[in-house]
Order: sequence, then C-alpha cells, then structure tokens
Amino acid sequence: MFTIFGFTFREAFSRKILLVSIIIAAVFLGLFGAGVHFAVKDIVKSHNQMLASIIYPQLLLFGLYFGGFIVSFLSIISSAGLISSEIESGNIQAVITKPLSRCEIITGKFLGQGVFLASYAVVMFAAISSIIYYKTGMQFPGIWRAGLLFMLQPIVLMSVTMLASVLTSTIASGAMAFMLYSIAVVGGVVEQIGYLINNLYLKNGGIVSSLIMPVDSLYRKIVHIMMPANNPLSAIQQMGPFGASAEPSVWMVVYTLLYVPAFYLLSVYYFARKDI
Amino acid sequence: MNLAIETENLTKMYDGSVGCKEICLSVSEGQIFGLLGPNGAGKSTLVKTLVGLVRPTSGTARLLGRPLGNVEVRRKIGFLPENFGYHEWLTGRQLLEFHASLYKMDRWSRKSRIPLVLDVVGLTGSEKKKVRTYSKGMRQRIGMACALLPDPDLLFLDEPTSALDPLGRREVREIMQGLKERGKTIFLNSHLLSEVEMVCDQVAFIKGGSIIDQGSPDEMGADGAVVELHVDVVSEGLLDLIRPVARIVSSGSNTIRAAVKSREDIPELARAVVGSGGRLYRLAHEKVSLEEIFINLLKEGD
Ligand SMILES: Nc1ncnc2c1ncn2[C@@H]1O[C@H](COP(=O)(O)OP(=O)(O)OP(=O)(O)O)[C@@H](O)[C@H]1O
Ligand SMILES: [Mg+2]
Repeated sequence: MFTIFGFTFREAFSRKILLVSIIIAAVFLGLFGAGVHFAVKDIVKSHNQMLASIIYPQLLLFGLYFGGFIVSFLSIISSAGLISSEIESGNIQAVITKPLSRCEIITGKFLGQGVFLASYAVVMFAAISSIIYYKTGMQFPGIWRAGLLFMLQPIVLMSVTMLASVLTSTIASGAMAFMLYSIAVVGGVVEQIGYLINNLYLKNGGIVSSLIMPVDSLYRKIVHIMMPANNPLSAIQQMGPFGASAEPSVWMVVYTLLYVPAFYLLSVYYFARKDI
Repeated sequence: MNLAIETENLTKMYDGSVGCKEICLSVSEGQIFGLLGPNGAGKSTLVKTLVGLVRPTSGTARLLGRPLGNVEVRRKIGFLPENFGYHEWLTGRQLLEFHASLYKMDRWSRKSRIPLVLDVVGLTGSEKKKVRTYSKGMRQRIGMACALLPDPDLLFLDEPTSALDPLGRREVREIMQGLKERGKTIFLNSHLLSEVEMVCDQVAFIKGGSIIDQGSPDEMGADGAVVELHVDVVSEGLLDLIRPVARIVSSGSNTIRAAVKSREDIPELARAVVGSGGRLYRLAHEKVSLEEIFINLLKEGD
C-alpha cells in the first residue's frame, strides 16, 4: 500500500498536471494580489471606513471562491483517470497481479492523491489569506478550522471522482464530476438567492444540492468561520453570490466527513469486483 | 509430482457470452505448458482468470497449491500481460524498482535482480531511458523483465514474443528453457506453433472457450500421424470403411490421406483397404506438425 501511496504522490508531481496547476495558481494569485493591492490603495486614499468594511470582506470572498474553484478543478482533472486511465493504458494489469490486495491499491491511490490535493489546497488557502491579511489587516478568527475545511473541498470531489473512475472511463468520470460540481455551485447560488428573496423552494433546492455534493456548503461554512456574524454589517458582507446568508450547520460538516469515507468504501467495493 | 496449476471446471462468462468454459487442467511443476487456440478462443481469458484480473463465474483453481485469490503466493508468480502497458514516464530502471517494491522484494535482492533481469532481456544500456521512448519490442522486453523480477516459480506469458524480432524470440525460448531447467513452471499462450512445439512439454487446444484436446506434442504428433495411401481407385465405399479407423484428411482420385489416432491403427488401415478388395500400391506415414494438428482440430469442430 505504501508503494502505491508513494507512487501516486510521485506521479502527481512528475506529470504535467502539477506544472499546469502551479501556473494557473500563480497567474490567479498574481491577478488577485494585484487586484487587492489597487483596491486597497484606493480605499485607503478615500478614508472611508464604511467602504473598507464592506469591500475588504468581498475581496476575501472573491479569493476564497475562485481559489476553491481552481483547487476543485485540479481535483477533478487529476482524479478522473486515477483508476480508469490505468485500466485503459493496461498499466494496472501488472500491478493487480502483484502480492497486494485491490483494497490496498485503492487505499494507496486515495491517500497519495488526497495528500497531494490537500497540500495544494493548503498552499492556495495560505496564499489567499496572507494576501488579504497583509494588504487589509483583516483578522480571521477561525483560520485553522477554515483551512481544514478548505482542504476538505478537493478531497470531497476526489472521492466521488475516484468512484466514477473505478466504474467508468476517464472522460465519463471527468464529465460526471463536473456535473456534480456544477450542481453544487448552482445550488449554492440558488440558496443565496432564496435567502435574499426569502423563498423556501430555492432554499430547499440549495439544501438538496449540498446533500448531493457538499463542496459548496463547505465553502459557505468557511466563509462564516472566517467572518463571523458579530457585527452590524455582517448581513451586507454576506450578500451576493460569494457570501453565505445562512451558516451551514455543523451537521453539514459531519455529513461531509461521512461522505468521503462512504465513497472511498464504495470504490474499494466495486474495484474488488471489477474485471480488468 | 506437485501441481503448479490445477483448475476444476473453471468458467468465465462475460455478460452471458463465453470467455472460457469448464476448464480442467493440471500442470505439473517444472513443465512448460502451451495453450493454443484461434483468436477469441479464450486463452487470455483463462490466464487473466488465473492471475486474478477477472473473477471466475464458477469453478475453482489452485496455483502452487494455494486457492485463487491468495495474495501471498503472488510473490512467486510472474505475469506478462498480452496488452502490456507500463508507466511511460518512468525510466526502465525506475519501472523495475517500482515492480520490485510491489513484489515486496528486499533491498538486497533488488540490487542483484534488477541488473540481472535487464541483462537477461537484453536491455542493459537502455535502463536509463524513459519507457516512453522504447520501441514496441523493447516494451515487451521490459515487460518480460518485470515478470522475471522475483525469480518466479510460476510464470504466465501471454504471447510473449508477439512484438519481438527473430533473435528476441529465440532469446525468450532460451529464457524459458533456462527456467525450466531450474524447476520453474511456465504457462505460455502463443500462436506461434513451431515455437510451442520446440519448448512445450504439454499443450492444450482451446476453442470457443473449451479445451478440445491436450497432451504432449510428441504424442500428439505420432498419434495424429497422417498416413498416405495410394490405391487403384478411391470409392465412397472405401472411404466409409476407413472412417472408423482414421480421420480422412484429404482424398483424391487414387490417394487418400488419413490421420490415425495411434500407430496401431496403421495396419488396420491396410486391412480395411485390402479387405474391401482395393489394391494398395503404397502406404507411408508422415509425422505431423503441431500446426497440422491445430488446423485439423479447428476444422473438425466446424
Ligand atoms: N472484457 C470483455 N468483455 C466481454 N467479452 C470479452 C472480454 N474479453 C474477452 N471477451 C470475449 O471472450 C472471448 C475470449 O477472448 P480472449 O481474449 O480470451 O481470446 P484469446 O484466445 O486470447 O484471443 P487472441 O488470440 O486474439 O488473443 C472472446 O469471444 C471475446 O470476445
Ligand atoms: Mg489473447
């Protein structure tokens, strides 16, 4: 199992995916940093404290939302072929017939890929929060918890994508994962609108979508942890597509924490029965 | 003698269509066993079932005395897949290192085995190149190296020479003979009948998923000998008399070629001709090659 773990981790590093994702991250962080820099400069000049307390959180939200998007994107792209591409290329044939169980193969891949994605997410999260912290001086109370949840985002997507990769082809897994991710994103926005116009149907739609794919509710939870509703402006800060008008309950986090091992176990189950 | 491979009614169905059906085989330790059959006969399916790539629908099998699915016994099993694919972004040496750690080989045996197998398959000097840059034959060679890595007691080779040049084919033959001398067992799938004939102690023919004949190539050759008869006239009546004794391979206006099951049938054949009042001018038997047996067996079923 450790062989597969190390190998998957190494594979992620030695392939083009890492290079591409580092470039994407660098471009994004560069643009984001520059944007924040100039926005803050203008606001500081205007000496408008009110404006600052509305715009600064928006900058943070923007960074976390799109940073999360990039991390999720990488997660899907790099996990879609985790099993299926190995089957398609025939690489797996000589691996399965070695003295290790199929469960070990899945576990090794899951952990190797998981550690890789988690590291990427942590770097992304640290970069975004540092940019905001150094430029605006905003304080983040629950930064550690928020960081952990940010790390969980790609893992959630990976666990589903991996199951798809066990069951179908690389293309189908990627497409399916993107569909689920879109459901989560659209569901999240729908829920926000639901709170804005106080519509129960829209709110429920959001809840259903986050049960199907909890990655967006994780994001809303992160937002709440980093910007607790302890000031009069918080309702305004949390408006818009990137905010979180309602804080997802702790049960949502528990649900997500069960979601990942459930999909892992399903992958193990189906892979053990698969004809190669 | 111990059995390296033992199967009992091993069956694999793919969504209702036959992969291989009720295979009963026993291969003794120290033998080279050849499995022959036309495309789509189920050769690869049988090997894949044995090495654990596909799950049998029914039946059982034992490898080196352990039931199918035993993980530990795989330390001593080598396998060269038919569609060999290897991690292209590794160098030959890194690939072997990876496979060695999958085999749970210790550091010391890795150090000694890797250069050894590279040498055996003739890739010394190319081990620092990426597998991506290898030619098709070199890939098959590195696949062979992976299969030989743990010094396996049981080796499955699914068409190991399909991409090799004549020299490479001969080298593979020599590798197989070398392993056999050291008491290893080899299960070989191949289309190259002359090759199989040269190395195999036992062969089996598979068609439509079922084993239709098996034995040693020598026995099969002698027993399936084709006898050529020159007679004054070939009549339908004469052929009818011959049929219970031998299988008619071909017949012309005054020659008949018939395959007998064993040598004892040859005098019977002469008796049948003479007994029918025919005049027998010449009777000669030729040893048949595996190829001929193969073709005849395939025709027989149709
Ligand atoms: N994954 C699969 N799904 C469905 N049917 C399959 C699958 N693999 C093989 N088959 C079928 O099983 C039968 C046996 O195939 P197999 O690959 O074992 O043949 P083979 O004897 O190895 O042929 P070849 O000489 O071409 O390598 C064929 O009829 C094939 O169509
Ligand atoms: Mg085959």
